[in-house]
Amino acid sequence: MSSAADRDRCAISGIGATEFSSDSGRSALSLATEAALAAIADAGLTSVDVDGIVRCDLDAVAHNDLAEALGLPDLTYWGTSGPGGAAPGGMIGQAVGAIRSGQANAVLAFRALNGRSGARFGQAGSGPGSGAGSGGGRRVGGGGKYDEFFAPYGLVAPGHLFSLLARRHMIEFGTTEEHLGHIALACRARANANPAAQMRDRSLTMEEYLGARMISSPLRLFDYCLETDGACAVVVTSRERAGDGPHPPALIRAVAQSAGPEPQVGFLYPTLMRKSLTTQTSKSLAETLYRRAGLGPDDVDVAQFYDCFTITVLLQLEDYGFCAKGEGGPFAASGAIDKGGSLPINTSGGHLSEGYLHGLNHVVEGVRQIRGTSTSQVPGAEVCLVTSALPVTTSGLILRRP
Amino acid sequence: MSQPPGRLRPETDDHDTGGFFAAAAREELAVCACAACGAVLHLPRAYCARCGSWDTVWRTVAGRGRLYSWTTVEHQVHRSFPVPYTIVLVELDDAPEARLVGYLPGRPELTAGMAMRVWFEPVDDEGTLLPQWIPEPETEGA
Ligand SMILES: [Zn+2]
Repeated sequence: MSSAADRDRCAISGIGATEFSSDSGRSALSLATEAALAAIADAGLTSVDVDGIVRCDLDAVAHNDLAEALGLPDLTYWGTSGPGGAAPGGMIGQAVGAIRSGQANAVLAFRALNGRSGARFGQAGSGPGSGAGSGGGRRVGGGGKYDEFFAPYGLVAPGHLFSLLARRHMIEFGTTEEHLGHIALACRARANANPAAQMRDRSLTMEEYLGARMISSPLRLFDYCLETDGACAVVVTSRERAGDGPHPPALIRAVAQSAGPEPQVGFLYPTLMRKSLTTQTSKSLAETLYRRAGLGPDDVDVAQFYDCFTITVLLQLEDYGFCAKGEGGPFAASGAIDKGGSLPINTSGGHLSEGYLHGLNHVVEGVRQIRGTSTSQVPGAEVCLVTSALPVTTSGLILRRP
Repeated sequence: MSQPPGRLRPETDDHDTGGFFAAAAREELAVCACAACGAVLHLPRAYCARCGSWDTVWRTVAGRGRLYSWTTVEHQVHRSFPVPYTIVLVELDDAPEARLVGYLPGRPELTAGMAMRVWFEPVDDEGTLLPQWIPEPETEGA
């Protein structure tokens, strides 16, 4: 997917999701199966038509698990595309590559997790130490993990890293807590309009945002995303095949992945070694994605930004070129990201207020905007940007109306 | 510095990073550098992509730096680290390509760019020392 010839040749023709909850009472495979069946039916297909599955590295459900659960006649293509939230843009890219190269006709991309009732992020390695008799606890790092430079200091959760990025943005540009609050409020307001959002009934004011307890300064409770049990899935096919389905296809204008000009080792914390903490892989990703799409930020009508934290969105507003570097805070506070603004974001509520499905619910909502069926529909939306997690690596895509 | 027993300790014998902790055990702060072109290779690795050399050295540095960023953790996620505590990110004076992390108890008063000095904290009775950072009173101008 590197040339204009690949633009708009494939499409997302089906979307599916389970209920988003805090305790599904079901297996991740069961959740994945329900979301996949919904996406296949939404595409006007049956399981017999699906011959490819792509997933993220962290999913408990393997490609063959889901193939078995769905009763696929044969799975002839599968792939994984990186950890958790960084994966969705890459997953769609793999699907497009498989279809364009004749390796598959209909590819499922999915994410399923019991992110609240099961293994919770930021809780890994919190068991008792194993260093009995040495006066010390468990040893961490080594083997290329590089955790030995971070975990012994209590840098043990993604929120700690993003708090360091947020503080640095405040130091360099004078960004304020209220600036971040506007991002939390925008996502919450969209969730309040979305009956499927976990926070559908919970409004949020700036006073409540600023009054919430600090988790790791400068980030408060509502700077953090939700924890969610659930699953999302989408079906990717050729544009022609998608045109036979019941819904208007969401054309995949372009996809991209990026590890940035200074690739970092490891999974998360080594990003602290980048020359600048306030310009992330989303900057290089945006350059590649816009070039492949033949589009720029001015062409984007609506965006679904990966939002594990409010600061994640603020960095991307700058890196994707919607405002100058350092201006993300004032831009967010200007109303631009709200309904009716120049760039409405996270129209389902995002991770901050709809649910935490590792970026795949952002893809699903992007398709709804292109179809015109979002609960916070942007009138006449023709181009939707969908991004995946940063900072060590990232990915993203642009969807377009036919 | 009082932390509960059983806190996390660094793996100290990794092929690429072990030299950092070997230096720390001698109460020296060292960064990995390319012996051919001098590039600082942090986080430590065996190969210099800048000049193609496989010859690396552990360069002793002064153990002084500037506070680059910090966060005070108020919500506990790990039993080894009771809240509140503060994670600092320090940029080294004589190797600004390298940033190192430190732990401070509580909610210390901190300002961006303040001078920081290294010290070495024993984290077990096997001789493992962890480089740590504390604010240093400004004595020289600034
Ligand atoms: Zn070199």
